[in-house]
Amino acid sequence: MWSKLKIWGLMPFRTLRAKLVFSFLLIVLAGGLASTIIGTEMVGDTIIAQAQKKVRHDLVSAWMVYQEKLNRIRDVLNLTAKRDLIIRSLVEGNLDTLRHELERVRIEYGLDLLTVTDKKGVVLIRTRPPYQVGDFQGNDELVRRALVKEVVSSTEIVPQQELMKEGPELVRQAFMEFVETPKAKSRPETQETSGMVLKAAIPILDVNGNILGVLYGGALLNRNYEIVDKIKDVVYRGELYKGKETGTATIFQWDLRISTNVKNHSGLRAIGTRVARDVYDQVLENGRAWVDRAFVVNDWYIATYEPIRNIKGEIVGILYVGTLEEPYTDLRRNVIYSFFAIAFLGLVVVLFLAYFITRSITKPIGELVKATEVIAGGDFSHEVSIQSRDEVGHLSISFNRMTQTLKATMEELYVVNTKLQELNRHYLEMVGFITHELNQPMGVLKGFLIMLEDESLGPLANPKQKQAIATMLRNVNALINMVQKYLQLGRIESGRMEINKVRIPLFEETLTPVLQDEKQQLAARKMEVVIENERAFRQLEGVADPVLLQIVFSNLIGNALKYGKEGGKIWIGFREEPLELLFYVKNEGRGIPADKLNLVFEKFARLEGELEHRRRGTGLGLFNAKEIVEKHGGRIWAESEEGKWANFLFTLPKGERKS
Amino acid sequence: MEARRKVLVIDDEPDLVEMIRMALERQFEVATAFNGKDGVAKARSDKPDAIVLDIMMPEKDGFAACRELKGDPNTASIPILILTGVGEYFGRTKYTKMNGKEIEADDFMPKPVDPNELIRRVSDLLRKG
Repeated sequence: MWSKLKIWGLMPFRTLRAKLVFSFLLIVLAGGLASTIIGTEMVGDTIIAQAQKKVRHDLVSAWMVYQEKLNRIRDVLNLTAKRDLIIRSLVEGNLDTLRHELERVRIEYGLDLLTVTDKKGVVLIRTRPPYQVGDFQGNDELVRRALVKEVVSSTEIVPQQELMKEGPELVRQAFMEFVETPKAKSRPETQETSGMVLKAAIPILDVNGNILGVLYGGALLNRNYEIVDKIKDVVYRGELYKGKETGTATIFQWDLRISTNVKNHSGLRAIGTRVARDVYDQVLENGRAWVDRAFVVNDWYIATYEPIRNIKGEIVGILYVGTLEEPYTDLRRNVIYSFFAIAFLGLVVVLFLAYFITRSITKPIGELVKATEVIAGGDFSHEVSIQSRDEVGHLSISFNRMTQTLKATMEELYVVNTKLQELNRHYLEMVGFITHELNQPMGVLKGFLIMLEDESLGPLANPKQKQAIATMLRNVNALINMVQKYLQLGRIESGRMEINKVRIPLFEETLTPVLQDEKQQLAARKMEVVIENERAFRQLEGVADPVLLQIVFSNLIGNALKYGKEGGKIWIGFREEPLELLFYVKNEGRGIPADKLNLVFEKFARLEGELEHRRRGTGLGLFNAKEIVEKHGGRIWAESEEGKWANFLFTLPKGERKS
Repeated sequence: MEARRKVLVIDDEPDLVEMIRMALERQFEVATAFNGKDGVAKARSDKPDAIVLDIMMPEKDGFAACRELKGDPNTASIPILILTGVGEYFGRTKYTKMNGKEIEADDFMPKPVDPNELIRRVSDLLRKG
């Protein structure tokens, strides 16, 4: 799969090892990242869920504290109502004693109000100055129920005029101006005058169980911090986190904070502020609990709100507990950090391991590479010694076998090659010998044939004789040409070609003799040689071996003669370039196909010409020319437009000019 | 008719000598020798007007013969045309070294020999001389 990825090409890895290490890193990085993300997500969720669960639990505890307070009030009243002193005083109408005793009870048990009515519900005794009596309380739900012998207790809203009757101080304690906050739901009121009271009402019965009256009393919650602080102490044990209280509790009268240990910006209890709009809607309007994170005054809390109901089940307020979110977010952050730290540590460990693992993997490969280089350099004796059972081990075994096979093959090849060289030497010697031996008789034949043809040895009797002699001469010339090419080849291939470079007038030394020699052939094929830029050419000097350069021109011109168009032109010229001289021999004719342009210089190459069937060359002329030009440090190549012309060009380095 | 000029042909190949003789006889008087030693002796005794000299010969080759003739005041003035072997000694001028050896001849001509060209070259040499 990796191999199919094209990314390797884009990566700047020069070694297998870097690739492997990078792969390791990629895998660990991907795995580490994935597990970190999933882990932190899961742990984060768990932490938050735990916090919410805890807050719900805290609320239950808070309710217990709240209810305990209410129960305590009810129990105090209940016990008081059953006391002989109380019953007797009431039966005997000894109200002063009764009031005295009850006021003592009220103060002792920390109640804000403690009142007795008769059996019709008319107030007989109040225990707070100004001890107002005579008003009817039978309409109060709790009193009404107590009059029918029920023992009841609940949270009740007490309007201002009722508070006034119980004691003007209570009116002041309850009164609260709203402190406007942006999140609170807007209300037409701007203040709260009524109070929220934990209230109990107990029937007072005589010995026969007849109702004598009702004892009711309670504690005003407004500005009374006993419950909320107790909740804080019991539930949160007053713990601090970074100097902040970890837990807070609040009692709302409707949406108004009347008792709280949430502090405002000034560090005072934030009473008078109201609950946020969404909590208002959920808890007060719909009567449902609300659990979520909430921004309470200064900090984020995980908060829970539940409605407080009166005896009739109507919602009158809210009990809130909240725990500071910061410890949990810190915990979550620490967990995330831990995950990252572990992932990073893993990365370091993997990098460390990868360094050694990849070394153990790539080291043998490195050895193989080295061995390959040694063998590529021609040393077959090198063997790799890798003890491993894996693919690399197999590879090294195969490699060694390959080396041995290669070595054997090379040795065989060497033997065969030596034999071949020997054979080639013999062949060249033989060719040299034969051609050399042919040379002399050919020369004799040619000379006599020329003399016969031009009738300098006497007239020929008839045209047939003339034709026979002309044909013989042509064939002798072809043979001589062939012999010459083989003699050249013999010199080149046997390595006997010495170059004696001298500064010479190039045209005179190399072209003139060739043109002289080819005069007859040119005339026979009605071809015209055009020397381009002739004046400059005749004055041109260069450094070359005159004999060898003659061979080059001879072969190129001979080629043009052989393959050029009958009656066509041969252009010969030169150009002076900055560092070299360029010569060309161009002929009209069929030219050379583009794909054959390079092949014509190969040994024994044959050009397909229109006269091919008649004029078979040795396939050596251009090869010889190429060898000679290259030995001079020049280049040779062919250009052609098929069907029109062929051009052979070669260069000679200029060499140093004599001043 | 003026006296025919004498040309000495030195070559070890009788057929070639015969061919050259036939060619040159049309205009010159021809003497022949079949090795370098005889050739030098003949040159000294016959005093030819020109010499056509082959290189590869037994008993003193063309180099030696040429050197000897040119070094002898009696024969130094006789123009020498050297016949060079095909392929090997293709050149024919004063720039040419033969197997790396300088050779002080008056003209060079490659084999195979064109008889008409040979007549022309010898005539040129005689005119100069």
